[in-house]
Amino acid sequence: MVERPTDASPGGPGSSKDDEEELARRLERLGESLETRRAAEEAENRKGRSSGFAQATKVASEFVAGVIVGAGIGWGIDKAAGTSPWALIVFLLLGFAAGVLNVLRSEGVVADAGARLREAEPKETRRPDRDGDRPAP
Amino acid sequence: MDPQAAKYLGAGIATLGMAGAGIGLGTIFGNYLAGALRNPAAADGQFGRLIFGFAVTEALGIFSLLVALILLFA
Amino acid sequence: MAADKVDPIHQFHITKILPINVGHYDVSFTNSSLFMAMTVIAATAFLILATSGRSMVPNRWQLVAEMSYSFVANTLRDAAGKAGMKFFPMVFSLFMFVLVANLLGMIPYFFTITSHIIVTFCLAMLVISTVVIYGIWKHGFHFFGLFVPSGVPAALVPLVTMIEVISFLSRPISLSVRLFANMLAGHITLKVFAGFVVTLSAAGVAGMAGAVLPLAMAVALTALEFLVAFLQAYVFTVLTCMYLNDAIHPGH
Repeated sequence: MVERPTDASPGGPGSSKDDEEELARRLERLGESLETRRAAEEAENRKGRSSGFAQATKVASEFVAGVIVGAGIGWGIDKAAGTSPWALIVFLLLGFAAGVLNVLRSEGVVADAGARLREAEPKETRRPDRDGDRPAP
Repeated sequence: MDPQAAKYLGAGIATLGMAGAGIGLGTIFGNYLAGALRNPAAADGQFGRLIFGFAVTEALGIFSLLVALILLFA
Repeated sequence: MAADKVDPIHQFHITKILPINVGHYDVSFTNSSLFMAMTVIAATAFLILATSGRSMVPNRWQLVAEMSYSFVANTLRDAAGKAGMKFFPMVFSLFMFVLVANLLGMIPYFFTITSHIIVTFCLAMLVISTVVIYGIWKHGFHFFGLFVPSGVPAALVPLVTMIEVISFLSRPISLSVRLFANMLAGHITLKVFAGFVVTLSAAGVAGMAGAVLPLAMAVALTALEFLVAFLQAYVFTVLTCMYLNDAIHPGH
């Protein structure tokens, strides 16, 4: 288990100025290296090792939630506007698309909405159903 | 037969279409896994096609769900 | 069919402890409310007692409290950046509430509040409404830029925007269903295997010998459930942080 000394120690009151600066520098360096290592570990974790059942429930719930929300919206519009059953049909299919988008996003094939906007350009046009969208491994 | 009862029965029968989608998904993911185990290096590259197949197959299942929902709610 | 004694669903039954009616609304104090109150009290008491010493070299309790603090703080900082730290109290409370609720549910004869979808759904709605309200308050109309992806042909923009909106609206559902389904499935499985032990061991010596297998399974599942209790609290927190990130930086 890794502790983070930066969180807990405000520095001893009796130490001289030099010592304190040196200590602070070292703590900072330690914090940095811990940070990078933890980030790498986390990326590794996210990629592979989460348990199969957890991953399955995650993907399934993402997909089903999209469909349910789509159907719910469509049903609500039908109820309000009396356009039954057209809104239900359209929004169920849209919900299906949203569900697939959710799955792709949680699998990291398509970037997040926010991240995608932030980076603006290159990954955006990548579609999973086209050939040659990935560099050969 | 009471038309309301016939509606519910029809909705139940319509959801059987989801079984077909289930079989199709099983085939797709099973074959993907088999292929991925034979040639793990190529597996990541085919993930997009896997999702595409999943989406198309599941869309057909969604249609039967749609029929059931229309029978129930519309 | 399971015998009446080992009904795996019975543990989720809500009973009224103190019936209260306000107007037409039933706001009775139920066993669910009791365990929510217990969760809050347990989490608060743990954190207050553990950090009361404030020693330079932490003892075990203080170490656990500090670890949970820095764990959540790091998760939030990674996902939402420095600007996200103003949400730390909320995220930390959510994490501790879900974690303590899940862990309390692991004690035999205790009620698991997170195995009811209305509870998890309310937590998820709290997160999403925070995201929406803060996003609109901070960025105004610009917040809705989250739903309009750039680089899509103009003809497709309305379609894609609808899909993005539905995808956004499905977040609270998938967030709540995940926590709820994991806790529900885990507790039912535990109960079913425990029920096997009871019914088998009632069938004489041979049954007793056979009951060893489901007993071992139940023990293993208990360990797994502790892991799931922690993991689901963590997943809930991570997703909360990611959604908050959308509110803080809705794409510039």
